[in-house]
Amino acid sequence: MERGYKIRSKPDYQSLTWREHALAHVVVAKGKGGMAVLQLFQQMYPRQPVKVLYIRDKDESVDYATTLTKLIGEGLQCFDSEQEGLYAFFRMLSDCHMGTQFYMSGTESFIWSAVKLAKLHGVQEDDVMKQMMASLSRPVYCVHCKGMTTDITTNIATCRKCGRKLFVRDHFSRLLGAYMGLQVDAEDPGEVPEIEEIYP
Amino acid sequence: MSSVNVRVAAVERVTPLVKHFTLVREDGSRLPPFSGGSHVVVSMDAGGKVYRNAYSLMGSPADTNAYHISVRRQERSRGGSLFMHDKVVEGSVLQITLPTNLFAISRMGRKHILIAGGIGITPFMSQLHDIERNGFDYELHYAFRSPEHGAFADQLKARCGERAHYYIDSEEQKLDIRAVLSRQPLGTHVYVCGPGPMVTAVLETAHDLGWPQRHIHSEQFGAPPGGEPFNVTLAKSGLVVEVAGDTSMLQALEQAGAEIDSLCRGGACGRCMVEVLETDGELLHHDDYLSEAEKASGKKMMPCVSRARCTHLLVNL
Repeated sequence: MERGYKIRSKPDYQSLTWREHALAHVVVAKGKGGMAVLQLFQQMYPRQPVKVLYIRDKDESVDYATTLTKLIGEGLQCFDSEQEGLYAFFRMLSDCHMGTQFYMSGTESFIWSAVKLAKLHGVQEDDVMKQMMASLSRPVYCVHCKGMTTDITTNIATCRKCGRKLFVRDHFSRLLGAYMGLQVDAEDPGEVPEIEEIYP
Repeated sequence: MSSVNVRVAAVERVTPLVKHFTLVREDGSRLPPFSGGSHVVVSMDAGGKVYRNAYSLMGSPADTNAYHISVRRQERSRGGSLFMHDKVVEGSVLQITLPTNLFAISRMGRKHILIAGGIGITPFMSQLHDIERNGFDYELHYAFRSPEHGAFADQLKARCGERAHYYIDSEEQKLDIRAVLSRQPLGTHVYVCGPGPMVTAVLETAHDLGWPQRHIHSEQFGAPPGGEPFNVTLAKSGLVVEVAGDTSMLQALEQAGAEIDSLCRGGACGRCMVEVLETDGELLHHDDYLSEAEKASGKKMMPCVSRARCTHLLVNL
Protein backbone atom coordinates (compact mmCIF):
# COMPACT_ATOMS: atom_id res chain seq x y z
CA MET A 1 0.00 0.00 0.00
CA GLU A 2 1.24 3.48 -0.85
CA ARG A 3 2.57 5.22 2.24
CA GLY A 4 0.64 8.21 3.51
CA TYR A 5 -2.39 7.34 1.37
CA LYS A 6 -5.65 7.10 3.26
CA ILE A 7 -8.81 5.62 1.80
CA ARG A 8 -11.49 8.01 2.84
CA SER A 9 -14.39 5.67 2.25
CA LYS A 10 -13.05 3.11 4.73
CA PRO A 11 -14.94 3.41 8.02
CA ASP A 12 -13.09 4.23 11.21
CA TYR A 13 -13.88 1.90 14.07
CA GLN A 14 -13.65 2.74 17.74
CA SER A 15 -13.41 1.00 21.08
CA LEU A 16 -16.90 0.78 22.49
CA THR A 17 -17.54 3.22 25.32
CA TRP A 18 -20.91 4.03 26.88
CA ARG A 19 -22.44 7.26 25.68
CA GLU A 20 -23.15 9.45 28.67
CA HIS A 21 -26.41 10.93 27.36
CA ALA A 22 -28.87 8.18 26.60
CA LEU A 23 -32.44 7.05 27.08
CA ALA A 24 -31.41 3.39 26.73
CA HIS A 25 -28.59 1.29 25.29
CA VAL A 26 -28.68 -1.59 22.80
CA VAL A 27 -25.55 -3.69 22.22
CA VAL A 28 -25.29 -6.21 19.39
CA ALA A 29 -22.27 -8.51 19.13
CA LYS A 30 -21.18 -11.72 17.52
CA GLY A 31 -18.44 -14.21 18.35
CA LYS A 32 -15.24 -12.51 19.47
CA GLY A 33 -17.17 -9.24 19.47
CA GLY A 34 -18.34 -10.46 22.89
CA MET A 35 -14.99 -9.29 24.29
CA ALA A 36 -15.84 -5.70 23.37
CA VAL A 37 -19.10 -6.13 25.30
CA LEU A 38 -17.25 -7.47 28.33
CA GLN A 39 -14.95 -4.46 28.13
CA LEU A 40 -17.99 -2.17 28.02
CA PHE A 41 -19.30 -3.67 31.25
CA GLN A 42 -15.85 -3.31 32.80
CA GLN A 43 -16.36 0.45 32.38
CA MET A 44 -19.69 0.37 34.20
CA TYR A 45 -23.22 -0.95 34.21
CA PRO A 46 -25.21 2.07 32.98
CA ARG A 47 -28.11 3.50 34.91
CA GLN A 48 -30.36 3.46 31.83
CA PRO A 49 -32.01 0.26 30.53
CA VAL A 50 -29.56 -1.94 28.61
CA LYS A 51 -30.27 -4.74 26.14
CA VAL A 52 -27.52 -6.98 24.82
CA LEU A 53 -27.95 -9.38 21.91
CA TYR A 54 -25.11 -11.86 21.61
CA ILE A 55 -24.68 -14.30 18.76
CA ARG A 56 -22.42 -17.30 19.30
CA ASP A 57 -20.11 -18.03 16.41
CA LYS A 58 -19.94 -21.77 15.83
CA ASP A 59 -16.79 -21.40 13.70
CA GLU A 60 -14.88 -19.91 16.58
CA SER A 61 -13.63 -21.55 19.70
CA VAL A 62 -14.63 -18.65 21.95
CA ASP A 63 -18.06 -18.30 23.45
CA TYR A 64 -18.59 -15.40 25.79
CA ALA A 65 -22.23 -16.28 26.49
CA THR A 66 -21.57 -17.74 29.94
CA THR A 67 -19.48 -14.82 31.14
CA LEU A 68 -21.94 -12.32 29.65
CA THR A 69 -24.87 -14.04 31.40
CA LYS A 70 -23.16 -13.73 34.77
CA LEU A 71 -22.35 -10.10 34.16
CA ILE A 72 -25.49 -8.77 32.52
CA GLY A 73 -28.32 -10.97 33.71
CA GLU A 74 -31.78 -10.45 32.29
CA GLY A 75 -30.82 -7.77 29.76
CA LEU A 76 -29.00 -10.40 27.71
CA GLN A 77 -30.37 -12.53 24.89
CA CYS A 78 -28.16 -15.18 23.25
CA PHE A 79 -28.58 -16.69 19.79
CA ASP A 80 -27.02 -19.57 17.92
CA SER A 81 -27.36 -18.11 14.44
CA GLU A 82 -26.73 -14.69 12.96
CA GLN A 83 -30.07 -14.76 11.17
CA GLU A 84 -31.96 -15.38 14.41
CA GLY A 85 -30.03 -12.72 16.29
CA LEU A 86 -30.41 -10.06 13.61
CA TYR A 87 -34.10 -10.83 13.26
CA ALA A 88 -34.57 -10.31 17.01
CA PHE A 89 -32.62 -7.03 16.74
CA PHE A 90 -34.74 -5.84 13.82
CA ARG A 91 -37.95 -6.57 15.73
CA MET A 92 -36.62 -4.78 18.79
CA LEU A 93 -35.95 -1.60 16.78
CA SER A 94 -39.63 -0.76 16.42
CA ASP A 95 -39.95 -0.57 20.22
CA CYS A 96 -36.84 1.58 20.68
CA HIS A 97 -37.21 5.30 21.28
CA MET A 98 -35.13 8.27 20.17
CA GLY A 99 -32.19 8.60 22.51
CA THR A 100 -31.41 4.87 22.41
CA GLN A 101 -27.69 4.42 21.79
CA PHE A 102 -26.44 1.57 19.61
CA TYR A 103 -23.17 -0.35 19.96
CA MET A 104 -22.04 -3.09 17.59
CA SER A 105 -19.09 -5.43 17.61
CA GLY A 106 -17.90 -8.37 15.55
CA THR A 107 -16.52 -8.80 12.05
CA GLU A 108 -17.01 -5.97 9.59
CA SER A 109 -19.58 -8.10 7.74
CA PHE A 110 -21.62 -8.60 10.88
CA ILE A 111 -21.42 -4.97 11.99
CA TRP A 112 -22.74 -3.71 8.66
CA SER A 113 -25.52 -6.29 8.48
CA ALA A 114 -26.74 -4.90 11.79
CA VAL A 115 -26.13 -1.25 10.80
CA LYS A 116 -28.23 -1.69 7.67
CA LEU A 117 -31.17 -2.96 9.75
CA ALA A 118 -30.88 0.04 12.09
CA LYS A 119 -30.80 2.37 9.08
CA LEU A 120 -34.17 1.02 7.98
CA HIS A 121 -35.52 2.51 11.21
CA GLY A 122 -33.97 5.92 10.57
CA VAL A 123 -30.85 5.43 12.71
CA GLN A 124 -27.94 7.08 10.95
CA GLU A 125 -24.82 5.01 10.51
CA ASP A 126 -22.54 7.66 12.04
CA ASP A 127 -24.51 7.56 15.27
CA VAL A 128 -23.84 3.86 15.81
CA MET A 129 -20.70 3.02 17.78
CA LYS A 130 -18.81 0.20 16.09
CA GLN A 131 -15.84 -1.89 17.13
CA MET A 132 -14.27 -4.34 14.71
CA MET A 133 -13.19 -7.56 16.42
CA ALA A 134 -12.02 -11.02 15.54
CA SER A 135 -10.74 -10.49 12.00
CA LEU A 136 -10.07 -8.05 9.18
CA SER A 137 -12.42 -10.06 6.94
CA ARG A 138 -14.55 -7.97 4.63
CA PRO A 139 -18.09 -7.92 3.31
CA VAL A 140 -17.87 -7.78 -0.50
CA TYR A 141 -20.49 -6.47 -2.91
CA CYS A 142 -20.41 -7.82 -6.45
CA VAL A 143 -20.81 -4.81 -8.73
CA HIS A 144 -21.93 -7.14 -11.55
CA CYS A 145 -24.75 -9.17 -9.97
CA LYS A 146 -25.29 -7.08 -6.78
CA GLY A 147 -24.73 -10.17 -4.63
CA MET A 148 -23.22 -9.88 -1.16
CA THR A 149 -20.48 -12.21 0.05
CA THR A 150 -19.44 -11.91 3.68
CA ASP A 151 -16.30 -12.52 5.75
CA ILE A 152 -13.76 -12.52 2.89
CA THR A 153 -10.16 -12.91 4.05
CA THR A 154 -8.48 -12.99 0.62
CA ASN A 155 -7.50 -10.45 -2.03
CA ILE A 156 -9.84 -12.18 -4.49
CA ALA A 157 -13.29 -13.44 -3.55
CA THR A 158 -15.69 -15.80 -5.26
CA CYS A 159 -19.11 -14.15 -5.49
CA ARG A 160 -21.57 -16.27 -3.59
CA LYS A 161 -24.33 -15.39 -6.04
CA CYS A 162 -22.82 -15.39 -9.56
CA GLY A 163 -19.53 -17.21 -8.99
CA ARG A 164 -17.36 -14.50 -10.59
CA LYS A 165 -13.86 -14.03 -9.22
CA LEU A 166 -13.91 -10.58 -7.65
CA PHE A 167 -10.99 -8.30 -6.87
CA VAL A 168 -11.72 -6.91 -3.39
CA ARG A 169 -11.23 -3.17 -3.54
CA ASP A 170 -10.59 -0.78 -0.64
CA HIS A 171 -13.55 1.33 -1.77
CA PHE A 172 -16.23 0.94 0.89
CA SER A 173 -19.88 1.89 0.42
CA ARG A 174 -21.71 2.96 3.54
CA LEU A 175 -25.01 2.62 1.73
CA LEU A 176 -24.36 -1.03 0.86
CA GLY A 177 -22.20 -1.71 3.92
CA ALA A 178 -19.54 -3.48 1.86
CA TYR A 179 -16.36 -3.21 -0.17
CA MET A 180 -16.71 -3.16 -3.93
CA GLY A 181 -15.80 -6.36 -5.75
CA LEU A 182 -14.94 -6.24 -9.47
CA GLN A 183 -14.45 -9.18 -11.79
CA VAL A 184 -10.70 -9.76 -11.78
CA ASP A 185 -10.52 -11.67 -15.07
CA ALA A 186 -12.89 -9.53 -17.12
CA GLU A 187 -10.22 -8.74 -19.75
CA ASP A 188 -8.66 -12.21 -19.91
CA PRO A 189 -11.23 -14.79 -18.79
CA GLY A 190 -9.68 -17.47 -16.65
CA GLU A 191 -6.53 -15.44 -15.88
CA VAL A 192 -6.97 -15.17 -12.12
CA PRO A 193 -3.97 -13.89 -10.14
CA GLU A 194 -2.76 -15.83 -7.13
CA ILE A 195 -5.28 -15.82 -4.31
CA GLU A 196 -3.72 -14.85 -0.99
CA GLU A 197 -5.06 -14.31 2.49
CA ILE A 198 -4.54 -10.61 3.21
CA TYR A 199 -7.44 -9.90 5.62
CA PRO A 200 -6.79 -12.57 8.28
CA MET B 1 -27.64 39.85 -2.63
CA SER B 2 -30.47 39.90 -5.14
CA SER B 3 -33.70 41.35 -3.91
CA VAL B 4 -37.22 41.84 -5.18
CA ASN B 5 -39.66 44.69 -4.80
CA VAL B 6 -42.97 43.57 -3.40
CA ARG B 7 -46.30 45.28 -2.83
CA VAL B 8 -48.41 44.59 0.22
CA ALA B 9 -51.61 43.10 -1.18
CA ALA B 10 -53.37 42.59 2.15
CA VAL B 11 -52.87 43.18 5.86
CA GLU B 12 -54.83 41.16 8.37
CA ARG B 13 -54.77 41.38 12.14
CA VAL B 14 -54.43 37.83 13.46
CA THR B 15 -54.08 38.45 17.19
CA PRO B 16 -53.79 41.65 19.26
CA LEU B 17 -50.03 41.60 18.56
CA VAL B 18 -49.66 39.79 15.25
CA LYS B 19 -50.34 41.00 11.73
CA HIS B 20 -50.32 38.86 8.61
CA PHE B 21 -48.99 40.50 5.41
CA THR B 22 -49.59 39.18 1.91
CA LEU B 23 -46.80 40.22 -0.47
CA VAL B 24 -46.97 40.15 -4.26
CA ARG B 25 -44.34 41.12 -6.76
CA GLU B 26 -44.53 44.79 -7.67
CA ASP B 27 -44.32 44.04 -11.39
CA GLY B 28 -47.08 41.45 -11.12
CA SER B 29 -44.93 38.45 -12.08
CA ARG B 30 -44.55 35.32 -10.02
CA LEU B 31 -42.22 34.99 -7.04
CA PRO B 32 -39.55 32.28 -6.89
CA PRO B 33 -40.58 28.92 -5.42
CA PHE B 34 -39.25 28.04 -1.97
CA SER B 35 -39.15 25.15 0.49
CA GLY B 36 -40.97 24.92 3.82
CA GLY B 37 -39.18 26.69 6.66
CA SER B 38 -37.64 29.38 4.40
CA HIS B 39 -37.40 33.01 5.38
CA VAL B 40 -36.88 36.32 3.62
CA VAL B 41 -35.25 39.47 4.91
CA VAL B 42 -37.57 42.46 4.57
CA SER B 43 -35.96 45.87 4.14
CA MET B 44 -37.98 48.81 5.40
CA ASP B 45 -36.94 52.33 4.54
CA ALA B 46 -37.99 54.43 7.50
CA GLY B 47 -36.92 57.82 6.23
CA GLY B 48 -33.18 57.27 6.12
CA LYS B 49 -32.93 54.50 8.65
CA VAL B 50 -33.20 51.08 7.03
CA TYR B 51 -34.55 48.21 9.07
CA ARG B 52 -33.87 44.66 7.93
CA ASN B 53 -35.78 41.88 9.62
CA ALA B 54 -36.00 38.20 8.78
CA TYR B 55 -39.49 36.69 8.59
CA SER B 56 -40.51 33.11 7.86
CA LEU B 57 -42.66 32.40 4.83
CA MET B 58 -45.93 30.88 5.96
CA GLY B 59 -47.74 30.06 2.74
CA SER B 60 -47.70 26.98 0.60
CA PRO B 61 -44.41 26.54 -1.28
CA ALA B 62 -46.58 25.64 -4.28
CA ASP B 63 -48.12 29.11 -4.34
CA THR B 64 -45.76 31.53 -6.06
CA ASN B 65 -48.38 34.25 -6.60
CA ALA B 66 -47.83 35.62 -3.13
CA TYR B 67 -45.64 35.26 -0.06
CA HIS B 68 -47.15 35.36 3.42
CA ILE B 69 -45.37 36.62 6.51
CA SER B 70 -46.56 37.38 10.00
CA VAL B 71 -45.06 40.01 12.24
CA ARG B 72 -45.35 40.20 15.99
CA ARG B 73 -45.26 43.66 17.44
CA GLN B 74 -42.15 43.95 19.63
CA GLU B 75 -42.38 47.09 21.74
CA ARG B 76 -38.79 46.94 22.94
CA SER B 77 -36.88 46.35 19.76
CA ARG B 78 -34.96 48.30 17.16
CA GLY B 79 -38.17 49.36 15.47
CA GLY B 80 -38.62 47.06 12.47
CA SER B 81 -41.71 45.33 13.77
CA LEU B 82 -43.23 48.63 14.90
CA PHE B 83 -42.66 50.02 11.42
CA MET B 84 -44.37 46.97 9.89
CA HIS B 85 -47.31 47.38 12.26
CA ASP B 86 -47.75 51.15 12.20
CA LYS B 87 -46.53 52.26 8.78
CA VAL B 88 -47.01 49.39 6.36
CA VAL B 89 -50.47 49.25 4.83
CA GLU B 90 -52.12 47.72 1.81
CA GLY B 91 -50.29 49.09 -1.23
CA SER B 92 -46.99 49.79 0.57
CA VAL B 93 -43.87 48.76 -1.30
CA LEU B 94 -41.10 46.82 0.46
CA GLN B 95 -37.95 45.12 -0.63
CA ILE B 96 -37.28 41.48 0.22
CA THR B 97 -34.37 39.14 -0.38
CA LEU B 98 -34.93 35.84 -2.16
CA PRO B 99 -35.96 33.04 0.22
CA THR B 100 -33.26 31.20 2.14
CA ASN B 101 -33.84 28.04 4.12
CA LEU B 102 -31.92 27.29 7.31
CA PHE B 103 -34.81 25.35 8.82
CA ALA B 104 -35.86 22.72 6.28
CA ILE B 105 -37.52 19.40 7.07
CA SER B 106 -34.96 16.59 7.02
CA ARG B 107 -35.88 14.09 4.35
CA MET B 108 -34.06 11.39 6.28
CA GLY B 109 -36.61 11.74 9.04
CA ARG B 110 -39.35 9.19 9.62
CA LYS B 111 -41.30 11.39 12.01
CA HIS B 112 -41.13 15.10 12.76
CA ILE B 113 -41.86 16.88 16.05
CA LEU B 114 -42.57 20.58 15.59
CA ILE B 115 -42.36 22.70 18.73
CA ALA B 116 -43.48 26.32 18.50
CA GLY B 117 -43.67 29.12 21.04
CA GLY B 118 -45.78 32.16 20.15
CA ILE B 119 -44.87 33.74 16.82
CA GLY B 120 -42.40 30.85 16.37
CA ILE B 121 -45.33 29.07 14.73
CA THR B 122 -44.70 30.81 11.38
CA PRO B 123 -41.96 28.59 9.83
CA PHE B 124 -44.04 25.52 10.65
CA MET B 125 -46.94 26.88 8.61
CA SER B 126 -44.90 26.32 5.42
CA GLN B 127 -43.00 23.27 6.73
CA LEU B 128 -46.35 21.55 7.25
CA HIS B 129 -46.98 21.76 3.52
CA ASP B 130 -43.76 19.83 2.86
CA ILE B 131 -44.59 17.32 5.59
CA GLU B 132 -48.11 16.75 4.26
CA ARG B 133 -46.92 16.44 0.67
CA ASN B 134 -44.39 13.78 1.67
CA GLY B 135 -46.90 11.99 3.87
CA PHE B 136 -44.57 12.16 6.90
CA ASP B 137 -45.76 11.40 10.39
CA TYR B 138 -45.61 14.42 12.70
CA GLU B 139 -46.76 16.11 15.90
CA LEU B 140 -47.22 19.83 16.40
CA HIS B 141 -46.72 21.25 19.90
CA TYR B 142 -47.70 24.90 20.12
CA ALA B 143 -47.39 26.99 23.27
CA PHE B 144 -48.85 30.50 23.57
CA ARG B 145 -49.71 33.07 26.25
CA SER B 146 -53.48 33.09 26.24
CA PRO B 147 -56.31 32.01 23.92
CA GLU B 148 -56.40 35.31 22.01
CA HIS B 149 -52.65 35.11 21.35
CA GLY B 150 -52.72 31.73 19.63
CA ALA B 151 -52.05 32.93 16.09
CA PHE B 152 -53.54 30.57 13.49
CA ALA B 153 -54.47 28.10 16.24
CA ASP B 154 -57.96 27.39 14.86
CA GLN B 155 -56.72 27.05 11.31
CA LEU B 156 -53.99 24.64 12.42
CA LYS B 157 -56.38 22.59 14.52
CA ALA B 158 -58.57 22.10 11.46
CA ARG B 159 -55.52 21.17 9.41
CA CYS B 160 -53.64 18.93 11.84
CA GLY B 161 -56.47 17.51 13.96
CA GLU B 162 -55.17 15.29 16.74
CA ARG B 163 -51.59 15.87 15.75
CA ALA B 164 -51.85 19.43 17.10
CA HIS B 165 -51.28 19.92 20.82
CA TYR B 166 -51.75 23.35 22.39
CA TYR B 167 -50.37 24.66 25.67
CA ILE B 168 -51.99 27.86 26.86
CA ASP B 169 -49.98 29.66 29.50
CA SER B 170 -52.92 31.60 30.99
CA GLU B 171 -54.75 28.31 31.54
CA GLU B 172 -51.69 26.85 33.22
CA GLN B 173 -51.15 24.26 30.56
CA LYS B 174 -47.51 23.43 30.28
CA LEU B 175 -45.55 21.66 27.57
CA ASP B 176 -43.55 18.80 29.08
CA ILE B 177 -40.62 18.73 26.66
CA ARG B 178 -38.96 15.74 28.31
CA ALA B 179 -42.14 13.66 28.11
CA VAL B 180 -42.65 14.49 24.43
CA LEU B 181 -39.04 13.74 23.50
CA SER B 182 -38.89 10.51 25.54
CA ARG B 183 -41.62 8.70 23.62
CA GLN B 184 -40.54 9.18 20.00
CA PRO B 185 -39.68 6.32 17.66
CA LEU B 186 -36.23 5.98 16.09
CA GLY B 187 -35.64 8.23 13.12
CA THR B 188 -37.60 11.17 14.59
CA HIS B 189 -36.40 14.75 14.09
CA VAL B 190 -37.31 17.66 16.35
CA TYR B 191 -37.69 21.28 15.23
CA VAL B 192 -38.11 24.19 17.60
CA CYS B 193 -38.83 27.85 16.95
CA GLY B 194 -39.79 30.26 19.69
CA PRO B 195 -38.41 32.39 22.48
CA GLY B 196 -34.80 31.82 23.56
CA PRO B 197 -35.48 29.95 26.80
CA MET B 198 -37.83 27.53 25.03
CA VAL B 199 -35.33 26.84 22.26
CA THR B 200 -32.58 26.28 24.83
CA ALA B 201 -34.78 23.95 26.88
CA VAL B 202 -35.61 21.80 23.84
CA LEU B 203 -31.98 21.64 22.68
CA GLU B 204 -30.72 20.75 26.14
CA THR B 205 -33.40 18.13 26.80
CA ALA B 206 -32.89 16.43 23.43
CA HIS B 207 -29.14 16.37 23.99
CA ASP B 208 -29.56 15.03 27.51
CA LEU B 209 -31.84 12.22 26.30
CA GLY B 210 -29.18 11.19 23.77
CA TRP B 211 -30.76 12.52 20.57
CA PRO B 212 -28.07 12.78 17.89
CA GLN B 213 -27.21 16.38 16.98
CA ARG B 214 -28.35 16.05 13.39
CA HIS B 215 -31.87 15.12 14.52
CA ILE B 216 -32.24 18.45 16.34
CA HIS B 217 -33.15 21.64 14.45
CA SER B 218 -33.83 25.12 15.76
CA GLU B 219 -34.50 28.60 14.54
CA GLN B 220 -34.67 31.81 16.45
CA PHE B 221 -35.19 35.26 15.06
CA GLY B 222 -34.91 37.24 18.20
CA ALA B 223 -34.05 40.88 17.89
CA PRO B 224 -30.31 41.23 18.37
CA PRO B 225 -29.61 42.23 21.93
CA GLY B 226 -28.78 45.86 22.48
CA GLY B 227 -26.07 47.03 24.81
CA GLU B 228 -23.50 49.73 25.33
CA PRO B 229 -22.50 51.77 22.30
CA PHE B 230 -19.03 51.10 20.85
CA ASN B 231 -16.90 52.02 17.86
CA VAL B 232 -15.60 49.75 15.11
CA THR B 233 -12.63 50.68 12.94
CA LEU B 234 -12.53 49.21 9.44
CA ALA B 235 -8.96 48.20 8.59
CA LYS B 236 -9.24 48.63 4.81
CA SER B 237 -10.75 52.12 4.73
CA GLY B 238 -9.76 53.40 8.15
CA LEU B 239 -13.42 54.38 8.64
CA VAL B 240 -14.69 54.50 12.22
CA VAL B 241 -18.30 53.33 12.61
CA GLU B 242 -20.32 54.10 15.69
CA VAL B 243 -22.63 51.32 16.87
CA ALA B 244 -25.43 52.80 18.96
CA GLY B 245 -26.87 50.89 21.92
CA ASP B 246 -30.09 50.03 20.08
CA THR B 247 -28.50 49.18 16.72
CA SER B 248 -26.79 45.95 15.72
CA MET B 249 -23.19 46.12 14.54
CA LEU B 250 -24.29 44.72 11.17
CA GLN B 251 -26.88 47.44 10.75
CA ALA B 252 -24.35 50.11 11.67
CA LEU B 253 -21.81 48.73 9.19
CA GLU B 254 -24.43 48.66 6.43
CA GLN B 255 -25.47 52.23 7.15
CA ALA B 256 -21.85 53.30 6.98
CA GLY B 257 -21.63 51.71 3.52
CA ALA B 258 -19.29 48.88 4.48
CA GLU B 259 -19.21 45.92 2.07
CA ILE B 260 -20.74 43.17 4.15
CA ASP B 261 -22.83 40.20 3.14
CA SER B 262 -25.57 38.76 5.33
CA LEU B 263 -28.25 36.14 5.22
CA CYS B 264 -30.17 35.15 8.34
CA ARG B 265 -29.37 38.17 10.52
CA GLY B 266 -29.92 35.98 13.55
CA GLY B 267 -26.52 34.45 14.30
CA ALA B 268 -27.31 31.14 12.63
CA CYS B 269 -25.87 31.05 9.13
CA GLY B 270 -22.36 32.48 9.49
CA ARG B 271 -22.54 34.61 6.33
CA CYS B 272 -21.78 37.99 7.92
CA MET B 273 -18.77 36.75 9.90
CA VAL B 274 -16.05 39.37 10.36
CA GLU B 275 -12.46 38.86 11.30
CA VAL B 276 -11.40 40.73 14.42
CA LEU B 277 -7.84 42.05 14.12
CA GLU B 278 -7.50 43.93 17.39
CA THR B 279 -9.53 44.85 20.41
CA ASP B 280 -8.74 46.18 23.85
CA GLY B 281 -11.93 44.83 25.37
CA GLU B 282 -14.30 41.93 25.29
CA LEU B 283 -16.38 40.45 22.47
CA LEU B 284 -19.95 39.67 23.49
CA HIS B 285 -20.91 36.70 21.32
CA HIS B 286 -24.64 36.00 20.94
CA ASP B 287 -24.60 33.73 17.88
CA ASP B 288 -25.16 29.98 17.48
CA TYR B 289 -22.69 29.66 14.62
CA LEU B 290 -19.20 29.91 16.09
CA SER B 291 -17.91 27.08 18.25
CA GLU B 292 -17.01 27.78 21.85
CA ALA B 293 -13.33 27.58 20.89
CA GLU B 294 -13.78 30.10 18.08
CA LYS B 295 -15.63 32.47 20.41
CA ALA B 296 -12.89 32.17 22.99
CA SER B 297 -10.18 32.84 20.39
CA GLY B 298 -11.64 36.34 19.88
CA LYS B 299 -10.68 36.29 16.20
CA LYS B 300 -14.13 36.13 14.62
CA MET B 301 -17.55 37.56 15.35
CA MET B 302 -21.06 37.69 13.95
CA PRO B 303 -22.01 41.37 13.75
CA CYS B 304 -25.71 40.56 13.21
CA VAL B 305 -26.17 39.66 16.88
CA SER B 306 -22.84 40.09 18.65
CA ARG B 307 -21.39 43.23 20.17
CA ALA B 308 -18.25 44.38 21.95
CA ARG B 309 -17.43 46.14 25.18
CA CYS B 310 -14.29 48.05 24.36
CA THR B 311 -12.79 51.37 23.34
CA HIS B 312 -11.05 49.94 20.28
CA LEU B 313 -12.17 47.25 17.81
CA LEU B 314 -10.38 46.78 14.49
CA VAL B 315 -12.01 44.47 11.94
CA ASN B 316 -10.77 43.23 8.58
CA LEU B 317 -13.31 45.04 6.39
